[in-house]
Amino acid sequence: MSQQPTETDSAVDPFTREVVTNALQSAAEEMFLNLGRTAKSSVIYETLDYACGVTDADANVVAQANGVPGFLGTLKFCVADALEKFGQDGFDPGDVVLLNDYHGGTHLNDVAMVAPIFVDDDLIGFTASKAHWTDVGGKDPGSWTTDATSVFQEGVQYPMVKLYEGGERNDAVYDIIVANTRMPEVTLGDMEAQQSSMGVGAERVVEVYERYGVDTVQRAVEDSFDAGEQLVREEIRKLPNGTYTAEDKLDGDSVSGDPVHVEVEVTIEDETIALDYTGTDPEADGPINAPYAASVSDVRSFFQAITLPDADTNEGFFRPLDITIPEGTVLNATKPAPIGTDWEGSAMAADLPWKALAPHLPDRLSAGHFLSVCATIVGGHDERRGEEFLVVEPQPGGWGASPGQDGADVLVCSGDGDTLEMPVEVMETRFPLLFDQAALDTPQTAGHGEFRGGTGFVQDYRIYNESGGFITAGFGRSEFPPWGVEGGQDGDGNHIEILRTDGENEHHSNLTNHELGDGDVARLVTSSGGGWGDPRERDPERVREDFRDDYITRETAREVYGVELDGDGTVDEDATAALRDTTTDAAGDDE
Amino acid sequence: MTEYTTRVAVDIGGTFTDLVAVRDGGLTLAKASTTPSNFAGGVLDAVEKRDLPLASVDQFVHGTTVVINAITERTGEETALLTTEGFRDVLDVTRANRPDMFNYQYEKPEPFIPRRHRWEVPERVDQAGETVEPLDEDAVRDAARDIRDAGFDTIAVSYLHSYENPDHERRTRELVAEVHPDAYVTLSHELTKEYREYERTNTTVLNSYVRPIADEYLDTLAGRLGDRGFDGNTYAMKSNAGTASFDEARRRPVEMVESGPVGGVYGAAHVGRQLHEPDVVSFDMGGTTAKTSVVQDGEVTIDTDYWLESSPRDEGYPLKIPVVDIVEIGAGGGSIAWVDKGGSINVGPKSSGADPGPACYGRGGTEPTVTDANLLTGRLNPDYFLGGDMSLDVDAAESALEPLADTFGTSVREAAHGVLRVVNSNMANALKQVSIRRGHDPRDFVMVASGGAGPLHAATLGRELGVKETVVPRAPGQFSAWGMLMTDLRKDFARTHVRPFDAAHAGDVADIVDELEAEARDAYAAEEVDEDDLVLERSVDLRYAGQEHTVNTPLGDGPIDASRVAGTVERFHERHERTYNFRLDDPCEVVNVRLTASAPMPKPTVESLATDGEPADAVKATRAVDFATEGVHDARVYERDALPTKTPIDGPAVVEEPACTTLVHPDQTLTVDSFGHLHIS
Repeated sequence: MSQQPTETDSAVDPFTREVVTNALQSAAEEMFLNLGRTAKSSVIYETLDYACGVTDADANVVAQANGVPGFLGTLKFCVADALEKFGQDGFDPGDVVLLNDYHGGTHLNDVAMVAPIFVDDDLIGFTASKAHWTDVGGKDPGSWTTDATSVFQEGVQYPMVKLYEGGERNDAVYDIIVANTRMPEVTLGDMEAQQSSMGVGAERVVEVYERYGVDTVQRAVEDSFDAGEQLVREEIRKLPNGTYTAEDKLDGDSVSGDPVHVEVEVTIEDETIALDYTGTDPEADGPINAPYAASVSDVRSFFQAITLPDADTNEGFFRPLDITIPEGTVLNATKPAPIGTDWEGSAMAADLPWKALAPHLPDRLSAGHFLSVCATIVGGHDERRGEEFLVVEPQPGGWGASPGQDGADVLVCSGDGDTLEMPVEVMETRFPLLFDQAALDTPQTAGHGEFRGGTGFVQDYRIYNESGGFITAGFGRSEFPPWGVEGGQDGDGNHIEILRTDGENEHHSNLTNHELGDGDVARLVTSSGGGWGDPRERDPERVREDFRDDYITRETAREVYGVELDGDGTVDEDATAALRDTTTDAAGDDE
Repeated sequence: MTEYTTRVAVDIGGTFTDLVAVRDGGLTLAKASTTPSNFAGGVLDAVEKRDLPLASVDQFVHGTTVVINAITERTGEETALLTTEGFRDVLDVTRANRPDMFNYQYEKPEPFIPRRHRWEVPERVDQAGETVEPLDEDAVRDAARDIRDAGFDTIAVSYLHSYENPDHERRTRELVAEVHPDAYVTLSHELTKEYREYERTNTTVLNSYVRPIADEYLDTLAGRLGDRGFDGNTYAMKSNAGTASFDEARRRPVEMVESGPVGGVYGAAHVGRQLHEPDVVSFDMGGTTAKTSVVQDGEVTIDTDYWLESSPRDEGYPLKIPVVDIVEIGAGGGSIAWVDKGGSINVGPKSSGADPGPACYGRGGTEPTVTDANLLTGRLNPDYFLGGDMSLDVDAAESALEPLADTFGTSVREAAHGVLRVVNSNMANALKQVSIRRGHDPRDFVMVASGGAGPLHAATLGRELGVKETVVPRAPGQFSAWGMLMTDLRKDFARTHVRPFDAAHAGDVADIVDELEAEARDAYAAEEVDEDDLVLERSVDLRYAGQEHTVNTPLGDGPIDASRVAGTVERFHERHERTYNFRLDDPCEVVNVRLTASAPMPKPTVESLATDGEPADAVKATRAVDFATEGVHDARVYERDALPTKTPIDGPAVVEEPACTTLVHPDQTLTVDSFGHLHIS
């Protein structure tokens, strides 16, 4: 039952509310820009694997700026847990709390900072940020691996400790951090950048409070949450009521190798959406497990995508969303389960309801996409510069088709956002690598449909370094590929090939510290997206265009699409009609 | 007797073509309708309106939308692309980012060259410029033949690391010329010597794409000016706020992409120079958008990280050319106020445009706009719009705002001033983004406000931002053309060269600076500019080793040795700390070496306008104006041209001139200087 919005009874007029919430959002964006411009980890400044935000004194997110949607919601958990540990009275101006363990909600590389904001001695809220540090210790360079069997192997845990107390650095904590990273210069640079951006954000927030008054700002924020909730409820009302289910398999990690069963039941009822993951397998032996907060963050992104994709995210949006994930499952892992590649689990938590709802929401959703971050680390000792090097990069891949539209080629996954792939020229300047190709994966052999899934990406990293190097990579959605819809084909799955200089080839989906010699090539291949609709329904002219642009071969045109192309590439209409007639059962297609 | 230089600037805008000329020390203004099918026609109309004797004009400076239009409307020339083998898909791969994060049906920008019009060539150079694989000359010849036979006359060539070693690109031009001598060939390293292959390739592609159109346009215009007796020099306004000869502009047309808007920024910088104020925020608000940029130490801010057609939801297309750093806000006089489903008020980015325009234009618009709100708060005069050429319909504005007032339970006037508060706060946030957020202290700045709607909002924004004072220049409605009158020849050179920046590498940097200076002298020699007239400014993009983003830091004049490097590093630390609040003890790295080479041109002199008199004589009326949170006040209304110089006038006040209206708040003071600019503080 919904209540009609009443005449404005709030003491804050709608114009002031807008002005105040815009100013707070602008503070979060300033923090975001500041950190991105100064960080030393490419994962921060190019991949934008970080988020900055402002919360109220009860940990409700008032404003947030994201580089990747995967962090939507995690800041709330960071602040709430810090509040629980220290209590409302446990903070002083100048404190900065550091955390990256299960409380932070994602893998240990994602280091969060939480700092209180005071106005006239009153705690009015927090700034919070979370950023991927390149190395936080653990058994392997880059910290996350694909073969850890417990969280203790994946780095040092910072269990909500004060890195700064009353503006003074806590040297004991600082020294422990420095002693436990392989890349102290990068780590300290990131730490400095992150802490500086927190200060900038707090300054702006205080300006807003001082200008408009604490009461006005708080009421404006609460009103905006209520408005956000109202808005999202109206959107949910437009979705078809019902119960929808989906199940899938997570590719096994390199520890157990066994696929992991996952499932969801989605219930849309008037103005609420409930997701229940009961029936999902227990934690895996390897690091594809997602802590609760990580899964919830990805599900929140999906929820926003089907309700209000164009709006600035607002805490009120998530009030009508109910998520049940049984503890101890792969999507709600508990300590000490390894969580180094937690994005495999959390992305699946969002992909399941996506799969369940795609046929019912064709104007918002696409067929399945390559999904996995396909995170890759390439490192070694750079002989040119005489120092260690470490590239950490996600790979882009093919997106699913939707009615009326082919899927996007080579785009970062749903867990990544405004994430920039590093240019080849920058990579080669910085690291001892030589790329043989960076190309669309064509001709396409999967993902065909009336609307075609986007192509995957093929990149050949050639080691250009006398002492060679190593690769660590986790390519999920390898064995269980992206799904097609309404007769569209599945994609072909993500994988890695190693092409040795002696002519030997290897095929993998997970690698940890895998040795590469000088001149060896690591060929990273991401999947095409799923197709939408029967390929034989595709407009022959589009098939012809695909052929002319080398997306498909003449044989694929004939055998999959039922389109015969002449020698000069034009459509042979009679032969096409004959092919489509004999190979489909549907009668009366021809006119 | 004073020797006057007669200079004419013509700026083609979306609706109007503006002309500003200085002759015999006096300013001449003209406006004509823009003629999209034949831009040169509009230019000549403007010239004829004022009977300018072209034979006596020394310099003709031109800002044109011809390049941006060809790109926006996709009317450029079909182009072929040659790339390094394995990299033809660089235009599809882009940077693979997903700016529209919650859109699961995101479509990437469509490349300007389809895949089938790209040819790969076996060749490879590494990051140090060493040849890993020699150029396959037969493959180039074969491709050139295919390209010719397929009917292409424009060819873009972009190979990996060509900024470090351009030999393969140069040789490719020779080989193409053997089989296809008439083709327009653009080599990537000639446009930019910075790394990032997608950005450089796309720049090369777009330059090729617009070349034939720009070529023909500039040719036609020069011809028609010549027919009317003009035999002076013709210059095109480039996106770096400098000018180029028509010949240079023909080869590098993509550099004219922001030809118009940068005139306003340069104009603001020039006003700063007149007033001895080196630090300026420019603010130019029109019907659909507002544009702002920072001028520091008298210099406009330039960078080479420009994206065309980009928005928070679209990645757009990169151009690695020097462009004035302009931040655009979707807020103008025509911006529409609306209530979302959550009950929040929003203003823009949707605009009523020129047609039907705001409701008060009486041309059928029914949605409430910023201009309607300005009218209903008494800020705009319904009977003096465009100098009285058009009267505004107050009733229509009221009807448009009524639904808003009903939704929020306020009076129509309260809703109107609410709309103004929201649009002003949006613009203030954007202004803060270019100023405070980049480490500037607004109290050191003056704001120069132009455009049809700028002066109406300027005093409010200037106060919100905390600038020293707000200046509304003379002819604010034709300010871009006015700015173009004041420009110099300017070329920017850069070269990516990633190395440690320390005493041991000073020689490397010195070599590159020498190379760039030689390149600059050669380029100007070809245009018969004497090298003694050149002003050279050298700088380096520096960062802490390990960072990605850089801070541009001037090198200063003199030999580049250990002590200059040390001094530059210290300046870098200061700039980094000012911008980002911290410094590190880490070693520095240079990424790009830059050189700006300008050749000052003789400037027209405008005579002082000092006038005596009493402000009271300029008062036309008194009317009630709603100043939002400051309440309603009776404000005196002045006619701008009748205002005396130097005598302060207390707010509240409204200053009217045909093209726009300036608002002065109750606690502010207005003065007019001898250049005719209004100062509000």
